[in-house]
Amino acid sequence: MKGGQDSPVVLSTQALVAGYERDLPIVRGVNLSVRAGEFVVLLGPNGAGKSTLVKTIAGLVPVHSGTVLLGGADVTAMPCHEKIRHGLAFVPQTENIFATLTIHENLQIAANILPKDERNARIAAIYAVFPDLGSRPSHRAGHLSGGQRQMLAVARALVVEPSVLILDEPSAGLSPKIVSEVFDRLKAINRAGVTTVLVEQNVKAALAIADRAVILVEGLVAHEGLASQLADDPIVAELYLGARRAGKQVAS
Amino acid sequence: MIFDLLAYGAFFLTMAMTFAIICLGLNVQWGQTGLFNVGVAGFVAIGAYVSAILTTPDAPGRLGGFDMPIIVGWLGGALVTGLATFLVGALTIRLRADYLAIATFGIAVTVQLCLLNLEPITGGPFGIGFIPRLFAGAAGNPSLFSALNLAALIAVVALVYFGLERLVRSPWGRVLRAIREDETAALALGKNAVRFRLQAFAIGGAIMGLAGATQAHFIGFIAPDNYQPTLTFQVWAMLIVGGSGNNRGAILGAVIVWGIWAVSASAVSAVFPPDQQARAASLQIVMIGAALCAILLLRPRGILGEVRTVSRHVGTSILPGIQSTKSTANEPIHAEKS
Amino acid sequence: MNPQALMDGLLTGAMIGLGAIGVTLTYSILRFANFAHGEFIAWGAYFAFAASGALGYFSGSLLNPIGPFSFGWSLPVAAVIAVALTAGLALFVDAILFGPLRARRSAVIILVMASFGAALTLRNLLEFVFSSQPLYYSKALQIAFPLGGGLRATPDQLLTLSVAAVLVGSVHLLLTRTAIGRSMRAVSENQQLSGVVGIDVRKVIRMVWVLGAGLACVAGIMAGLLVQIRPHMGLDLLLPLFAAAILGGIGSVPGAMIAGLIVGLAEALAVQWIGAEWRAAVAFIILVLILLFRPQGLLGRAE
Repeated sequence: MKGGQDSPVVLSTQALVAGYERDLPIVRGVNLSVRAGEFVVLLGPNGAGKSTLVKTIAGLVPVHSGTVLLGGADVTAMPCHEKIRHGLAFVPQTENIFATLTIHENLQIAANILPKDERNARIAAIYAVFPDLGSRPSHRAGHLSGGQRQMLAVARALVVEPSVLILDEPSAGLSPKIVSEVFDRLKAINRAGVTTVLVEQNVKAALAIADRAVILVEGLVAHEGLASQLADDPIVAELYLGARRAGKQVAS
Repeated sequence: MIFDLLAYGAFFLTMAMTFAIICLGLNVQWGQTGLFNVGVAGFVAIGAYVSAILTTPDAPGRLGGFDMPIIVGWLGGALVTGLATFLVGALTIRLRADYLAIATFGIAVTVQLCLLNLEPITGGPFGIGFIPRLFAGAAGNPSLFSALNLAALIAVVALVYFGLERLVRSPWGRVLRAIREDETAALALGKNAVRFRLQAFAIGGAIMGLAGATQAHFIGFIAPDNYQPTLTFQVWAMLIVGGSGNNRGAILGAVIVWGIWAVSASAVSAVFPPDQQARAASLQIVMIGAALCAILLLRPRGILGEVRTVSRHVGTSILPGIQSTKSTANEPIHAEKS
Repeated sequence: MNPQALMDGLLTGAMIGLGAIGVTLTYSILRFANFAHGEFIAWGAYFAFAASGALGYFSGSLLNPIGPFSFGWSLPVAAVIAVALTAGLALFVDAILFGPLRARRSAVIILVMASFGAALTLRNLLEFVFSSQPLYYSKALQIAFPLGGGLRATPDQLLTLSVAAVLVGSVHLLLTRTAIGRSMRAVSENQQLSGVVGIDVRKVIRMVWVLGAGLACVAGIMAGLLVQIRPHMGLDLLLPLFAAAILGGIGSVPGAMIAGLIVGLAEALAVQWIGAEWRAAVAFIILVLILLFRPQGLLGRAE
């Protein structure tokens, strides 16, 4: 059933325009829909607006027009901290953990939106999945290595059993070996039923784990398709190269 | 009657001009450079006292006076204040923006304390009197005397104004503006950016010192009470009203706010009985304090500050001279990378 | 050190410490130096004065001194009312001034300037309403009794010190052991991520104002009880508060309290060795020394 055509749409955007400045939208009318259980990767050249798109969905970037729907409900204007209560978990690219807090405190903060009697059980369940974290709950998060920090960030997002998990370039700054570990982890999480949206620069690695890919160029969806078909499709290279050629003017 | 009015007008404008000089100094620090000085009163006091000590006739029981020419006093006041400002800046300019504010506040408190307690130098709570006045020879003819004083102060304001306008348009001013408006430029300049800002801070301080000196010589008498936080606050109100970053605005703001202050002061003395006046005077500050907050909220560019004479590309910053919190506050995931 | 200077230093230090905790919390979470914080101290003292007076008016027996203390039951009750009122004042100022400026993403320094304007407004409003004449909670005189080792203290002073110790301990526990404390630490580290993980940042900010203003109010009542109540009491404490907050390390509650005690003791020593007229310069000298040698403070983390 994974990502099938008939699974319900859990997350979608309609004609979404967004950006920090009123007169300078970075996302310029994106239609995106993600079905339950899918693993979608957002690709595109630098400055295409991938990161801004997911931040907008998470509620961190002002929306100029258009809508964001989560499980059928309009969440466009919902403040960031409410969205996680509606099942949307976001892992920012950098600074995605509280470095001055311990591992356990990071998870406790996330669990805080759950009913009181479920919190400890959820954190214990997370420790079972991430034994690396469970073995040292009172370790200060700021002392973790890059890969471990990403794991903690992902674990933190999973505490609340989100319906959609969005990650903004979790591979940034990690060594290839760690990246493949992180990706294996994400794949497993997705198999367990968590709808996943991933922003990624590394086209090959991303297409290898995703079901479907959406390519953004200059704030618009330029192409989308099944990951397995796109892997060899020349259009991907074309979009990247084309943007690179034009990129002298548009690069951010 | 008309003569009285004219005399008062001349007095009022001369005082306003001394404030205009302070305001121009503050504008170099804040408007051009974005440095927040909460200790204006302290720096003005340094200039006033240094000049007074240099120029008053020899006084028993107090350091000096050295009976020097007024111009030496003015320059001395400016120089010493510039030096003091430089030291405070050197201490704090590399640190967070508000540490500078706290340090300058501390300077004002400490200067006030020194004025009160260093009696052998400052005359203590009673201050220094008999400060020589400009054109003392014309004192027999009051209207000529006040006209000459006003003219002299206008000349000083004009001198400072044109000097600053030249400075702002010089390569030095352009670098300063680049540092202020473009974080990347500031970073690229690294240590030099700190040096430029420090220079601007010290120049602004020297101008405030000069203003304090001119004020002291106009009134002829100074005491610690003249240099309370209220003074700092008045000057800030002047600059904000005039529109920071704009030298003409700074002068106009000084005249307007000093005018409002004078009118409301006379209203207070007319409305309230004598024994309640000290208390009612605080209402004046309440009103102007609320007005300052209201301007920050409603017209952040100042009432007259909409004319962007200094900068044509202020961008999104609230006031010229200020990077928005986007770049200064600790919001690390804000930067758009992809 | 003269035992009496030690006692004076501890008392002043406790007041400074309580105020500095508020400064350090608002600073670390709202990210600006609040020049209006001293006014919460003064307003707190006056709120308590007014409430205590009103209580005494309705029931004179509330004014009879409790046991060895100089004040009657009206003061502790008034203190509770005053803490609530001061917290309300802080929330009000935030709602009409700082909140809108934050929403507009104003520069830090605009917030500092606004707090400067708010401070002058609040202080002069007090002076207008109550005049600059000093006021006292009680005219009763207290005799200091010996504590041993040459140390003497009045019952009021000992009570004040104990209240301060209990409050600091509670705030420390609140921050380290409770969910709201964790949220506050999270917001102080990274406001945006806090929103992402589900923390209502606005609620945390309100909590910080309530906490900071409440402690400021208690510090004000202490100052009023041990010294006197004046409209400028907050302004006079402002520099010591900033010095203590920076010396302790911005964001550190134990740091603020320890640094408050250091500043208080240094002031007491200066009074003893140099003279009372130079007391106010001590905080400035300490401030200069920290900025020169350890800008991140004693317990702060380097930026």
